[in-house]
Amino acid sequence: MDYLLHILIMVCIYSIVSMSLNILAGYTGLLSVSHAAFYGIGAYTTALLALNAGLPFWINIPAGIIISGVIAFLVAWPSLRTYDDYFVITTFAFQIIVFSILNNWVSFTGGPLGLPGIPQPDIFGIKISSHVSFLIFVLTFAVLTYIFLNRLMDSPFGRILKAIREDEIFTTSLGKDVMKFKLTAFIIGASIASISGSLYAYYISFIDPTSFTIMESIFILSIVIIGGAGNLKGSIVGSALLIFIPEMLRFVGMPNSIAANMRQIFYGLLLVMFMMFRPQGIMGKFAFGKEGGVKEEVKKDA
Amino acid sequence: MFNQLLINSIIAGSTYTLIALSFSLIYSTTKFFHFAHGAVYTFCPYFAYLFTVILGMPLFISIPLAIVSSALIGILIELSIYKPLRRKGTTPLILLLASLGIYIVLQNLISMSFGDDTKTLRSGIVREGLEILGARITPIQIAIIIVSMLLLIVCRALMRYTKMGTAMRAVASDPDLAVISGINSDGVILFTFALGSALAGIAAILVSFDIDMTPTMGMNALMMGVVAVIIGGVGSIPGAALGGFLLAFAQNFGVWKISSQWQDAIAFIILLLFLLYRPYGFFGKKIRKVEV
Repeated sequence: MDYLLHILIMVCIYSIVSMSLNILAGYTGLLSVSHAAFYGIGAYTTALLALNAGLPFWINIPAGIIISGVIAFLVAWPSLRTYDDYFVITTFAFQIIVFSILNNWVSFTGGPLGLPGIPQPDIFGIKISSHVSFLIFVLTFAVLTYIFLNRLMDSPFGRILKAIREDEIFTTSLGKDVMKFKLTAFIIGASIASISGSLYAYYISFIDPTSFTIMESIFILSIVIIGGAGNLKGSIVGSALLIFIPEMLRFVGMPNSIAANMRQIFYGLLLVMFMMFRPQGIMGKFAFGKEGGVKEEVKKDA
Repeated sequence: MFNQLLINSIIAGSTYTLIALSFSLIYSTTKFFHFAHGAVYTFCPYFAYLFTVILGMPLFISIPLAIVSSALIGILIELSIYKPLRRKGTTPLILLLASLGIYIVLQNLISMSFGDDTKTLRSGIVREGLEILGARITPIQIAIIIVSMLLLIVCRALMRYTKMGTAMRAVASDPDLAVISGINSDGVILFTFALGSALAGIAAILVSFDIDMTPTMGMNALMMGVVAVIIGGVGSIPGAALGGFLLAFAQNFGVWKISSQWQDAIAFIILLLFLLYRPYGFFGKKIRKVEV
């Protein structure tokens, strides 16, 4: 039972982080592979504040949001000047730099040994320690994130993001400051990713840099793409699919050493297959295609 | 100390140049980011390991065989995934996402079949390096420098003076016009994949003789190659060499003052600076979002 709850908690955490990436990749069309870095920044902020200053979660999570947002601004401002594959490379570079800091700045982040013993969060004196209470805690955040982002993407702001994705030049010609909107989207995406990082740190109570690698970024991106870019529900479905199915491998008696590789092969293959046969993902409203071609297919399916 | 850093920079620069060259050939011809190149790179020394250590073949047979296998993997990826995708008229970003998927699959196949631990192609006692001006250099490191310089010249000549090279440049600059002029663009792209993958394989085998191999070596190597390509300018062979050496010098002399774990960070900070101030590199054309 605890095992099932554990999976559900992970689905919630990944839903939050993939919904936040969806704002960038799905709605604005910015293919970023740096989301594990922001997820990690949230986790480390929470862990460091909880361990060194003993602060409660309702300070730590907002602190993570702010730090992540500020770093996102500093990164996005230069990298948003680049386009397409160059943007991917820039975010890739940022991801490697963050990992390198987490791994090498031993006196501050604990280096490869990580930060153990993160205290459990408590609300008005009630400790959140059982799996059930954790699930409720995490689910609350996931639902709030979904409602917030859903409203935001239906607002004029969200519509401008979609317009940028469809045709950037045209949106500029309507008098919209495209750079400012992209920047805002990037900051919102990164800030929300940090929430899921904080939740992850509280839940696992031990973090080390290996949870925030480039492979993790690619995994989060795969969730968004496979679930469906430009659809928040798609990210939730994607998280559930990409976390549940590999867990099934345990039940067919696959040894743990191979299971980790099989999990990655599974989502790698899925990513290739989706790109070949259904580039918009399961519930997607958008594929990374230009005029004609792919978009025609999307219309046919709809 | 200075001489040793100089020699280290030249060795690293040579490997970066070779990887940059192999990536640049594919990137400039196909115009999409072939991430799986990193996995093709890793496959080559593992094939060599399979043939030499497990099957017991002599090195002079197993190394060419491994390089050919590497080229075959490149061809296989192109034929089974990229070509059908191109036929559908997809965009570079979809190809990029597909290649990320391929990279993940291939890398995990390697670590599943060979294990995650470090493997070596070297046998017998490790010989002490030669001493030149107070710096040490091993024979394999000398081989790295010579082989990359030779391949650089060969590729440059190939691109310049052969029919295939001209066709590759034609496909790179305008695929539609190339097809209209009677160039078999699919064939040219296939050849590019074979050549690029073989070059990456050669680089990987040389590196693995020097510093052994792990299943994840490819991603890092590829990224260094990409940084070199961007510094030098996409599509330029001298640019790849210049970028590779600049990067190697910055990394190796950078660690004079700070710890060597920061080499990756140094490389990517240089990359960010270039993307910010000179995104087209030294020899490249300016990139634009719109081409009217």
